[in-house]
Amino acid sequence: MIETLNPFALLGTWLLNAYDSTSEFLKLTLLTLVATFTPPFRFRDTIKQFYFVANQSVLIVCFCVTSAAAVTIVESSYHMKLVIQNDSLVPGFAALLILRELGSVVMALLITSRVGAGLAAEVGSMQITEQVDALKMLGINPIRFIVVPRFVACIFAGILLAVIANLVCLYGAMVVSTWKLGYTTGGFITAMRGFVHFRDLVFAAIKGAAFGSVIPLFSCFYGFRCKSGAEGVGLATTNSVVATSVSVIVIDFCLTYVFTNFY
Amino acid sequence: MKVETKVGLLFVVAVAMVAAFAYYLGVLNPFSDSYKVELGYNFAGGIEVGSKVRVMGIEVGKVTAIDFEPGLRMPKTGEEVKLKITATVSKKAWPTVRQDSKFFINLAGVIGEKYLEVSPGSSESPALEPGQLVRGEDPPRIDQLISQSYGLAGKILDLVQKNEGSITDTLDKMNSLVTNVNKTLVLLEKTTKNEKFSHIVNNVDTLTSDLTILTAKLRGPEAQRTMDLMHRLVWRLDKLDEPAIRKFLQQEGIKAHLF
Repeated sequence: MIETLNPFALLGTWLLNAYDSTSEFLKLTLLTLVATFTPPFRFRDTIKQFYFVANQSVLIVCFCVTSAAAVTIVESSYHMKLVIQNDSLVPGFAALLILRELGSVVMALLITSRVGAGLAAEVGSMQITEQVDALKMLGINPIRFIVVPRFVACIFAGILLAVIANLVCLYGAMVVSTWKLGYTTGGFITAMRGFVHFRDLVFAAIKGAAFGSVIPLFSCFYGFRCKSGAEGVGLATTNSVVATSVSVIVIDFCLTYVFTNFY
Repeated sequence: MKVETKVGLLFVVAVAMVAAFAYYLGVLNPFSDSYKVELGYNFAGGIEVGSKVRVMGIEVGKVTAIDFEPGLRMPKTGEEVKLKITATVSKKAWPTVRQDSKFFINLAGVIGEKYLEVSPGSSESPALEPGQLVRGEDPPRIDQLISQSYGLAGKILDLVQKNEGSITDTLDKMNSLVTNVNKTLVLLEKTTKNEKFSHIVNNVDTLTSDLTILTAKLRGPEAQRTMDLMHRLVWRLDKLDEPAIRKFLQQEGIKAHLF
């Protein structure tokens, strides 16, 4: 009891755990990357995972980003009218905000909660029911069998969903600005063209790929570390969602910082 | 429907959406409806690739390329220009762009974005050839303007400092002049309100009216006849001098002392 209250012991334990976790995560990432580029490739499984990640998420992503776009355009218009009594440039910079941040990040957080949680629970269940050990006994690399198809599927799904989310988001912003703010469709597109470049969509797709790549890595990482029992699976799921959400925000900051050099 | 088909369909939808987006941004345009024009500048005033091109204020294209080309010469004048800007102009607006059209770099909008304004040429001037190199109008350089204004302000300051005494003197004199003018105006105002002055003014007015009538009559045919008669009379009286009168009186036997 006295030892657990020792702050140095607590710090040491925390540091050792952090080191273990980080090294284990980096090892998983490295092995996944190696397995991704070396045969045999599991195309059919990858397509099934892609269907689960992209096709089954596209509707919820579109619905949520459209709502976010509506809020963005209405709020931007209100703020611009408040500050400079003119909201003629709102479609332009709202579109830029959507493309550079909103579309990709909202999509990634939605995928994290929908797919990441599911993946962590799935892999955690496999771990506690010793299916992962069974795969090892059969000589099947669990990373190649479980992680790689989800990793590849999530990267491509991230790109695809980022593109679709951004463009649906822009369309939603256009509809809302036409209906609520009195713009014409042509006026919206003209104002948007003043600010938005095609490279913004390319950068959004790159962000989508980066966000997509971390979701299966964290989910599988926490799934493989899952402790037995329903509580263990729940904890793994929660941890995976929290870690993925935080990493999405951090990666978004890093990529935005890098992309500003290209503007 | 098989899983693979659904995945393929989603992929096709995404590609179609990207193509539509690129088309609306003007990046992808398989059905080109514009002509290119090349413009020579020595100063482009901050215009960028993607800036709008307008004819008579209507957007008709965009700037597609900006190239540094030292040694580039204008074909007709031989003038050396160092910047070549390539812009597109839609086929619909192309007939208004003539050989004598001017290409200005202007500012527009709340944030002052740059655009290329094309002034329409006269219909007598021949049409511009697609891809032709034309000299653009260099925009005024604000930095040069500020630098020149700074020099001018320095010279004015020098002038004021060197002639401080005389300028002060001149200002004092101007001050007294203005004071005097003011006093005169006050006096004049008082005078115009005086009754006698008003009476004199009325008399002068009547006099000038009468003179107008008189001079009008003098210009009439009756006045002309009178003038002719008087002219003839004067000519006849001119011969009636002292010897002529003396001779006349001697002939008549009248003794008189003349002159």
